[in-house]
Amino acid sequence: MDNIKDSAKGWREEESKNVTFIVTKDCQLICKYCYLVGKNTHERMPFETAKQSIDYLLDTPEFSSEPAVVFEFIGGEPFLEIDLIDKICDYIKTQLFVKNHHWFNAYRFSFSTNGINYHTKKVQDFIKKNYSHISIGITIDGTQKKHDLNRIYKNGKGSYDDVLKNIPLWLEQFPGAGTKVTISSADIPYVCESVLHLYSLGIEEVNINCVYENVWKEGDDILFENQLMKLADEIIDNNLYKKYSCSFFSTKIGKPVNVLLENHNFCGAGKMLSIDAAGNFYPCTRFAQYSLRDKKAIIIGDMHKGIDKNKLRPFLTLDRFTQCPRECLECEVAGGCGWCSGENYDAAVSATIFQRSMANCLMHKARVRANNYYWNKLYRKLEIEGISENEIASQCIHHNKIC
Amino acid sequence: MLQYLIVQLCDTSTSYCHYENPSRTPRLISLEDLNAGILFAMKENLMIQFVYPDEELPLSYKKAVDSIDHNTIVSSLCEDQNLVAEADIVIFHEWTGLDYFAFNMEQAYVLRTSKDDFFDRYAQLKWVFPRVKRFNIVFTDIESFSEDDYKHYKKILNHLSENIEKLLIEGLPIQFNLLTDRLTLSTMNNCNAGWKTITLAPNGRFYPCPAFYFDDDSLIGDVHKGLEIKNPQLYSFDYAPICRHCDAYQCKRCVWLNKKLTLEINTPSHEQCVISHLERNASRKILKNSNLKKEMKDLSEIPEIDYLDPFDVREQWDFELLQQELIKFHKENY
Ligand code: SF4
Ligand code: SF4
Repeated sequence: MDNIKDSAKGWREEESKNVTFIVTKDCQLICKYCYLVGKNTHERMPFETAKQSIDYLLDTPEFSSEPAVVFEFIGGEPFLEIDLIDKICDYIKTQLFVKNHHWFNAYRFSFSTNGINYHTKKVQDFIKKNYSHISIGITIDGTQKKHDLNRIYKNGKGSYDDVLKNIPLWLEQFPGAGTKVTISSADIPYVCESVLHLYSLGIEEVNINCVYENVWKEGDDILFENQLMKLADEIIDNNLYKKYSCSFFSTKIGKPVNVLLENHNFCGAGKMLSIDAAGNFYPCTRFAQYSLRDKKAIIIGDMHKGIDKNKLRPFLTLDRFTQCPRECLECEVAGGCGWCSGENYDAAVSATIFQRSMANCLMHKARVRANNYYWNKLYRKLEIEGISENEIASQCIHHNKIC
Repeated sequence: MLQYLIVQLCDTSTSYCHYENPSRTPRLISLEDLNAGILFAMKENLMIQFVYPDEELPLSYKKAVDSIDHNTIVSSLCEDQNLVAEADIVIFHEWTGLDYFAFNMEQAYVLRTSKDDFFDRYAQLKWVFPRVKRFNIVFTDIESFSEDDYKHYKKILNHLSENIEKLLIEGLPIQFNLLTDRLTLSTMNNCNAGWKTITLAPNGRFYPCPAFYFDDDSLIGDVHKGLEIKNPQLYSFDYAPICRHCDAYQCKRCVWLNKKLTLEINTPSHEQCVISHLERNASRKILKNSNLKKEMKDLSEIPEIDYLDPFDVREQWDFELLQQELIKFHKENY
């Protein structure tokens, strides 16, 4: 098989459109931190819905003008619907060709999976068929203890063993693939060992972040800071920074933000399009009803009528200044402190996307302190070793990546 | 800062703006709530505007209403014709009543109309203009304006502006919201529901404006327990990302329509912006008349622009402006 980085030549991730199909709301697992509050076994996307939505999109230049596209398939667990996905992907490829669409060689199919079905024949056949246009992330939360704390089957059994057995195959097919880890309150004591464990499995890129929901208990920030400092020591003392990256440590976080230069929204809600089984369109999946605790879904159109441009206007003009409270605008360490517009909407005191939630404030500040520690320690070490500043940059993998 | 309290005296109180009032059964606000509302306005230094139903009020209500200085908003069809004659603002729901109404230079008038009726009957306004000091048009179906309607609207505005120019030069102080408001404004002057104005509804609760009472669940407090506006800043102009880059200062900036069409009170629809810009541009044309400049003082400058919806040029928004706003916002609030 080709190396995925070569085969994705010409790929312009920054400028791509993201189109998400919510193919099923079913999943084998009932992860404790899962934000999907309305999961169920009966809402499955009919092929016709996907087809009509694709037709609309490809025939509407206004919403398909980006130079590239990522078609993302999510659930629940998307690979539960591998037959449907295969059919949808075939349809997309055919239509891109037939319509001579500029996405013809600039598309990607992307999956976030729990990894349980990864080895099955159907999934493997699909991967082989579409290999040069696929990216797959398997979610594994770290050590068995940490993973099985949250990622459990409906009968309460942990899913670690079933996922782990598929990791070597996944890494063989997608060398350099990263994993996404989500931290909730109960996970904090395991942060350091979990990241090290993922490295030991051969996963070089660990994208890790705290959940945006307000789950934190008093003192969690201090525990978190201690865990990150322990992790910093491990990474630096054992020279792991040369090969591995962890998104918690970045030179770009923890600086004041100049709202004039960085007035944009943090996430891409509204620039993306998410489609559910009924053919409703959302600015991002987090605005579908099954993702929301307290608010009504924000539907911005459907496969019959298309996108209601008026409903997109708030998303396309949502800026930092308008949604941030004073504390955030004046915060000395705001750089890299992210938010999720869907969670902001769900948590807001009125039905608006213009009220930023501050649930993660203390956790971000803890991360910034540990991050400062990490860079001070690492730079000093490299300095003592006589390495120049330019070389430092090349020694540290992904040193400026922000989660 | 709050300045006005609108009191919707009855479920059937006349609509005076974009919204429809679907209620057919009169249900008056309770006297207790009415008196509490009056007290609230006195303590908060708010100017009260009473919105009347078409049925005459009982004596006890008339007494309560008279206990405070106020403005009166009433439909031209109200059965209490004395009230109509004395009202500050008279509302027309159709064009037919205009021909025989006894207009008066002390009153302001609002005509609520669909765009189609406006397109058909706008010529009638030429008869009305010399007889009034202030005349407002409010569209009840802004969301239905199409590209063709915009073209038509532009033509009609230009046509009416010739008439307005003539009257102004003759020294008649006509104010016609669609064309003359922008001539003298140098900052936003919008409806300000939820920010400078709140409404007390017949159920004793506060809403940003009566439209929200009929059509939305955005209540913002209770006359006995007090005001509780959630995310109040979003009603203000500074927190409206599109509007703060706009100079169609006469625009209603209807927060109810915003909510209805874009789901956010601070974000206007495309239709709202285009209509307001066509009006702005028609005002700009009036300003070019040199005779008018001699006649009228305090005219504002209206620069030429090449868009009808500020959203369409969002990539070019002036971030210096944002910085100024940020400084202003901090000064005012902290
Ligand atoms: S929000 Fe203002 S402009 Fe809109 S209907 Fe209410 S009063 Fe009228
Ligand atoms: S024209 Fe549009 S941007 Fe300008 S004030 Fe009106 S609603 Fe706001």
